[in-house]
Amino acid sequence: MSKVVEVSPTTRHEGHTKLVLKVNDDGIIERGDWLSITPVRGIEKLAIGKTMHQAPKISSRVCGICPIAHTLAGIEAMEGSIGCEIPDDAYLLRVILQCANRLHSHALHNILTLPDMYLPGTDVHINPFTAEEPVRSVALRIQKLREIGQTIGEIVGGEPIHPSNPRIGGMYKNISPRAKAKCYDLLKEGKDLAREHMEFMITVLKDWDARPTASVAAGYEVEKTEKFGFHDQGYMAVDPLYASTNLDAEPKWYPERWTEVRPWDWYMGEQEITLDDPNYPNHATTPAGGKAWPQMEACTAVPMYDGAPVEVGPRARLAIFRNYDRKGAMGLQIARQMEYMDCFYSAIEALDALDTSGSVIADEIPQGDGSLGWAANEAPRGADVHLAKVKDGRVQWYSLLVPTTWNFPVCSRALEGAPWQLAEVIVRAYDPCVSCATHMMVVDEEKKVVAQKLVQ
Amino acid sequence: MVLGNYKTAVSARAADADILKCSQDGGIVTQLFTYALEEGIIDGAIVAAPGDEPWKPEPVVATTKAELLAARGTKYTISPNMMLIKEATRSYGLDKVGIVGTPCQMQALRKAQLYPMAMRKVPDKIALAIGIFCMENFPYMGLETIVEDHCQTKMESAVKMDIGKGKFSVYTERGALSQIPLAATHKYEQPGCHVCLDYVANLADVSTGSVGSPDGWSTVFVRTKKGEDVWSKAVNAGYFETKDIASVKPGLDLVTKLATGKIDKNKKTLEARATLGVNKGLRNPYI
Repeated sequence: MSKVVEVSPTTRHEGHTKLVLKVNDDGIIERGDWLSITPVRGIEKLAIGKTMHQAPKISSRVCGICPIAHTLAGIEAMEGSIGCEIPDDAYLLRVILQCANRLHSHALHNILTLPDMYLPGTDVHINPFTAEEPVRSVALRIQKLREIGQTIGEIVGGEPIHPSNPRIGGMYKNISPRAKAKCYDLLKEGKDLAREHMEFMITVLKDWDARPTASVAAGYEVEKTEKFGFHDQGYMAVDPLYASTNLDAEPKWYPERWTEVRPWDWYMGEQEITLDDPNYPNHATTPAGGKAWPQMEACTAVPMYDGAPVEVGPRARLAIFRNYDRKGAMGLQIARQMEYMDCFYSAIEALDALDTSGSVIADEIPQGDGSLGWAANEAPRGADVHLAKVKDGRVQWYSLLVPTTWNFPVCSRALEGAPWQLAEVIVRAYDPCVSCATHMMVVDEEKKVVAQKLVQ
Repeated sequence: MVLGNYKTAVSARAADADILKCSQDGGIVTQLFTYALEEGIIDGAIVAAPGDEPWKPEPVVATTKAELLAARGTKYTISPNMMLIKEATRSYGLDKVGIVGTPCQMQALRKAQLYPMAMRKVPDKIALAIGIFCMENFPYMGLETIVEDHCQTKMESAVKMDIGKGKFSVYTERGALSQIPLAATHKYEQPGCHVCLDYVANLADVSTGSVGSPDGWSTVFVRTKKGEDVWSKAVNAGYFETKDIASVKPGLDLVTKLATGKIDKNKKTLEARATLGVNKGLRNPYI
């Protein structure tokens, strides 16, 4: 006889979500729904009629961890629509900005992940806030890596959170030779730290994978299952590092393969909660007797590629471009750590190629005729696809397909077969960014769907 | 207190003859920034460089002595130097920023340091703030009218402008001097200057201006620990000639008199704003 348990809210990720889990008598998940309950802000609707210059600056505010992804994807979707080619040096600055953002984001996610992990060879959970070694040095190293990422973002992008430098047609400013040297110094300081840190993280993650039991944070231990966090969905990625747009000679993303359904078609119907656990770490689960209705409550749409949900993110990138084949939650986590070095080497290469006296703004910026443009930016969490139609400098239509939106249904499937007490470990492996994912429908105070955006 | 807090006040001028050639007074700002740049105390400074039109300044981030020299001389019109304070720490990649400005710009700077609203990473990167005395400023069109109509001089011909001894003076390249009484310029003043309660840049690390010292010399207030450190090193390294302010004429008495005059007059403007309407007033930013 299966029971329903609800973890709400989930913790140690960006945004507001919950888990509605149907479990068997052993507490193993038979069907899990992981859904956003972040209020919808409706970026796509309010962008209509605004200028192409403003809309990406608004969509940047979707998320403060990966604003670079939204700024760049938004701007490049507009450029894709109006057919504007940007100068090489502007492109290089954007690439450096991209690397800086991925670096800081992955390092930040380590802080969110580590409390679930153990000091290798012990049963001690890692508390990143402890003053004791060896954890203290790890926390300081993460801080340093983030500081490097944010400082480079600040120099190249104008601002690490909501970058001000990117604009339609390129960038507002090139950087000074002094700023270029400063970025070099920071990258060279950071790359050795990052290698050390990556090795540490991978050791810790592999140790977790090899353990017979585990718990969420400092909770009680339950037996793990084989194939923890496995799923059979496909992968989608457009580039190992940066992006693809419709202006590319060979675009790597295909709008015609994308469809979108409502959560109604994908999530479970109304459920009564029949299992609760007052001792669940951080806070108890939802008390038994309550109701959950994922179909109605989910605040995201469900995008599909070739008719099925796909995983996006570090593993998707490595699987598609580097033949990476490790599955499961830890497979995804390890792939994320493996991206550290690429952030550094790609940024250094781009800096080498950068001419600090080169022009960073296109000579001509067309105003658009309403053609469809799109840009898929490989955000830290996966492909962030923005689609736009611009006419006479104004946005006619705008749509955001954000990494965590792609991952919601995939991760829900990946929950199957895991003990419910460890469901959050799987969720965190996706490094969810839920404010990013939530941008779609209009919900009134009673959480009833009053309007839904469907594909034009 | 009309002169603000300061550790020492001196009369000084730059030792570098090149700097003095085109400096407004004693070349204090240019010389001190040059020294700070050479010593690595700053790695760039925001200064008012020549702009697109004659005597219209444009704020720039100067990172060489040549760029500092190009910004010598007072331009009696608005130069929004604070505009670059954030950018200096961004695409310019500076870690130690110098900035020169009028009293209001020093206020903006200190406010940004204490209440950094959208001024991330700016507060700790301010290395040296030099303030200049300021009685009032003019919009560019006001300056144009004063120089071209009242003084009957082409802006392009002017090599120096100066306000002192109750007169607005314009010197031309060909040696002519045109002067008008300051009273004729009052209507061109920027209205925002009329609520300003700071004459000698009270919030700067070092402030400097012409009043109180003889021609070719400047009055200098060394105010903060940082200012004292840089100033004393520069003086010891021979970058400045100094005289005790007590030994020069007209000295601090005149500075105090002018400062008091400015503050008293503008305080009255502020008070009048409170009851400007019938049963209502205009905003007072100080309360």
